[in-house]
Amino acid sequence: MKVGFFIGCNTSFNRPDLEQAVRHAFPALGIELDDLEGQSCCPTWGTLPSVDVVGWCAVSARNHTIAEQKGLDIVTVCGSCYGSLSEAKYKMEVDPELKAKVNEVLQTIGREYKGTSNVRLTYYYLYHEIGPEKIRASLKYTLGGLKVALQPGCHTLWPSKVYYDKEEDPFHPRVLKEMVEALGATVGHYTRLIDCCGMGAMRSTDMEKSLNLFRRKILSIKEEVDPDLIITGCSSCLIQFDTAQEMLRREKKINFEIPVLHFMQALAICLGADPEKVAGLARTNVKSVIGKILPS
Amino acid sequence: MSQVQGGIGIINLSAGDPSLVNEIKELGGEELLECIQCAKCAAACPMVLAGFPFFNKRVIQAILLGLRDALLDDSSIWACQSCNRCTEVCPREVNPFEIIQAMRRVAIREFALPTLAIEGLKSLYDTGHAVYLAGAGNTRAKVGLPEKPPSTLSYPEALKEVRTILENTELAELGVIPMGESGVTDSCEV
Amino acid sequence: MKRIGVFVCWCGTNIGGVVDVPQVAKAASSFPGVVLATDYKYMCSEPGQELIVQAIREHRLTRVVVAACTPRLHENTFRKTLERAGLNPYLLEIANIREQCAWAHQKQPGRATEKAISLVRRAVAKASRLEPLFASTIPVTRKALVIGGGIAGMQAALDIADAGHQVILVEREPTIGGKMAMLDKTFPTLDCSACICTPKMVAVAQHPSITLYTYAEVEKVEGYVGNFEVTIRQKARSVDHTKCTGCGTCWEKCPTRVPSEFEQGLGTRKAIYVSFPQAVPNKPVIDRRHCRYFAAGKCRVCEKVCPTGAIDYQQGDQLIKEKVGAIVMATGYDLFEWEKVYGEYGYGRYPNVITSLQFERLINASGPTGGKILRPSDGKEPQSVVFVKCVGSRDPAKGKEYCSRICCMYTAKHAHQVLEKLPGARVYVFYMDVRTAGKAYEEFYLRTLQDGAHYIRGRVSKIYPEGDRLIVRGVDTLLGRQVEVGADLVVLATAVVPSRGAAELARLVGISCDQNDFYTEAHPKLRPVEANTAGIFLAGACQGPKDIPDTVAQASAAAAKVCALFSREEMAAEPTVAQVNQFLCYGCLECQKVCPYRAIEPVTVSENAAGKKIERTVASVNSGLCQGCGACTVACKPGAINLKGFSNEQVLAEVDALCL
Repeated sequence: MKVGFFIGCNTSFNRPDLEQAVRHAFPALGIELDDLEGQSCCPTWGTLPSVDVVGWCAVSARNHTIAEQKGLDIVTVCGSCYGSLSEAKYKMEVDPELKAKVNEVLQTIGREYKGTSNVRLTYYYLYHEIGPEKIRASLKYTLGGLKVALQPGCHTLWPSKVYYDKEEDPFHPRVLKEMVEALGATVGHYTRLIDCCGMGAMRSTDMEKSLNLFRRKILSIKEEVDPDLIITGCSSCLIQFDTAQEMLRREKKINFEIPVLHFMQALAICLGADPEKVAGLARTNVKSVIGKILPS
Repeated sequence: MSQVQGGIGIINLSAGDPSLVNEIKELGGEELLECIQCAKCAAACPMVLAGFPFFNKRVIQAILLGLRDALLDDSSIWACQSCNRCTEVCPREVNPFEIIQAMRRVAIREFALPTLAIEGLKSLYDTGHAVYLAGAGNTRAKVGLPEKPPSTLSYPEALKEVRTILENTELAELGVIPMGESGVTDSCEV
Repeated sequence: MKRIGVFVCWCGTNIGGVVDVPQVAKAASSFPGVVLATDYKYMCSEPGQELIVQAIREHRLTRVVVAACTPRLHENTFRKTLERAGLNPYLLEIANIREQCAWAHQKQPGRATEKAISLVRRAVAKASRLEPLFASTIPVTRKALVIGGGIAGMQAALDIADAGHQVILVEREPTIGGKMAMLDKTFPTLDCSACICTPKMVAVAQHPSITLYTYAEVEKVEGYVGNFEVTIRQKARSVDHTKCTGCGTCWEKCPTRVPSEFEQGLGTRKAIYVSFPQAVPNKPVIDRRHCRYFAAGKCRVCEKVCPTGAIDYQQGDQLIKEKVGAIVMATGYDLFEWEKVYGEYGYGRYPNVITSLQFERLINASGPTGGKILRPSDGKEPQSVVFVKCVGSRDPAKGKEYCSRICCMYTAKHAHQVLEKLPGARVYVFYMDVRTAGKAYEEFYLRTLQDGAHYIRGRVSKIYPEGDRLIVRGVDTLLGRQVEVGADLVVLATAVVPSRGAAELARLVGISCDQNDFYTEAHPKLRPVEANTAGIFLAGACQGPKDIPDTVAQASAAAAKVCALFSREEMAAEPTVAQVNQFLCYGCLECQKVCPYRAIEPVTVSENAAGKKIERTVASVNSGLCQGCGACTVACKPGAINLKGFSNEQVLAEVDALCL
């Protein structure tokens, strides 16, 4: 099994440990990763998608063609990349005129977009192609005894019509829960599970409002679950959860810290990866929780 | 006459710009006129929760009334998270997020865009990445990765492709960012 | 001794959820004369009724009390049950323990049970004094009167006439057609109103079974269901329509111009006129108030030019008497007089603030502008048109509390028409809600949004002039901001009110109105096209605001009711009518004064007194007219009048049972 790895800017430069986690976990589960050499920004929402549809889809389509030429599907670990790549593909699918315009642009670099590669998110890909049971069987360590709260992430769910992998009900997602349970953790439910974390354009535009939104969410998690660990399904959420807690603590708006990992990081650790490589850039104190996962 | 009369905050609808509706439709908000202001999108929107004055439903109403100035004077459209809850719940398939995006496209055509957006575009042109951290090489090395990802950063011909695309789409005509110069610049975090 | 059976109904949980029904039955079994008291889940159901029939037979019951819902709902049902068991149907008494007990006292079940027992005690006391009553029959004149020649009246008249009955149609205007003839297009199909209305007008005029009186009014209605006697005043037209050919020379030459009612004041007509070119009948009348000859004694131009000598200045009003068996009220609506109260919209002083009906004329190809939308002040084409909904509707402070029902749709239509006829014009609709309950209505409204109409949710607080424009101030509650818009033309969707004189006509005919003077139906759900006076039926907007489809449906329904009444030569009359004991009556006729149905007349009786034959006046009840309301029995000082089924003795026994 082989799949193209679309890394994404934030993962490449902000959290390369997450990149390492994917690079460890996939092969450990028997999936070869292809580097999709020459990939660029997806492009993300605040850039070309906010300028014009053709430009957005053209840059997106170029990324697609790299995978298409190799006959591979695309897997990404970043929620924004997942959303932008999927939506561009969807748009070109329902609007052949747009697809034609995009291909006109691509002609200038000698490429043609066909729409043959699917865009997948890491943990959905593993859920469908490997399955929770097989993953459970491959683990070296487990999250047994850990109480975990989840953060699936907006871009992993909506708009469901553009995604290859769909939840039965995107407002009651269950794939991430099943996957985390496969790692052996107990998953606690909280009422603001599908609330937005406040990362992204809102944070760049109005930090205070973004942090307020995040605070509602983290307080709900603390009060209702009080978990040992938060596991996110989206790399942007990972960054918000990892950094915003510290900001709120500095403003004395919360007085606790909950360690945060992306699902792929937790999985990689359970599959025996070196925590320093796959989770070494975390700002929250993940060491103690990793200590509970690994045998002493 | 301006759309918002100073101080007293009465919106002058007569000064509304009727061309805005078509502009939005042409820039991707095709389903704009399907909106009946039912507000289901607003009920799902994180911006409403966070307390922004202009959110999906109101942006749509303001567009329908042609209130270009009011929309451009407010940064709210740039705070949209692109989370697409609105698109998911809209009963009339208006795709409210697409309309916010279309409004951003209008704003960009009037150079009413936040600095960060300009920097993102510039970084995209310069490096192939909208988010780029100049010091990331060290970080990557720290976790055992090559300093550059296998992206446009490692493949100059790939970056050239991205630039060619950007030079052949509307971004080039708009003149929002300088093009043609080369060289990786400083960090950019959109 | 009477043998009374008491049947207490649970009505599912309606009664049973509050009142302790078995306890009520148990208590009833000890009341005087009660030989059986029992309960059942749904007494009105087939097994419930069967239970009563069996009990009557088994226990040889002679009187029946049913404790259940209001008698308005099931009294007739249970009367038939008694009849099936061989009892006279009037030996039934209902105790209403649902509406007047269980529903009213849901929070006090204990006391509700006590009250239910009292109500049953009352019913038992009355039941033991009930006497058999027998319905009589009255003859039916199979000819109908329809009052009002709009779409409702025309439809009802045509349906009744097509069923083979004679119809008299009375219209007070010089032409039939009503409001529909004034409209341009009809929602939601946008077919031309005249194209579907004028053929109906012609059909009415040509129908061999319809006698048409235009420019005529109903002056007097006597009699009762099946046997009305109607006096119609044919107003003087000053034109002999048997001679007139409708050639039009007279109104061409007439020197006097007055504002046209048909054009809603936006155009003019002559003093001798037909309302509009397709009028039926297409022959003129002279408006004597404005005619120079009638006002100043000089002119007579029309007489001079008339080629057939049809002008008749001496013509007087004529009174025509007709006997009919049924009456259909189809008097339609008018628009609320907003000019009197809406100072914030200019009290009617701004010529460019018009009503929706005026807009219909503006946009109508046969209207004063030939279908061009031009603002009245200077004839310029408006670039910005503002529609204001709910002017007088949903506004109890200045107008009416109710929703006028048709405005949302016609305003959507008007908005669509402006955007279609004036490309580039801006259209704003200020509204509180958009109500589009009707087949294909919501879709029509959505199409108007697609056309580009700006819908602004909020009421307009003020309209004021600025230069040659109007500024409309409102709020956009969707934006949360006050807004202003400059308008060349403002169209007010004014409330629908009953047509002028509706209340007076109701008194004259003998039916009742609601607080807004719309005619009251006998039951809001189950008898929606019948007035509460037998033999009188309601069609169209006289009963409440209605659009054309609903009006036509109701007109056909009223016609079907009339035809049902006409299906027999005789009809059964309710036996629960007032009866005068002429020995006790001393002829004060107080009863006549209070009778709302004009059912009491004085009669002279001869009797022997001390060997001498004397004559004296006493009251007499026309049982055909009497509706059994009982007002006379209260007014009667010597207690000479009894309402059968509600005699003084029976009622007093009920009071005693409740209070002693």
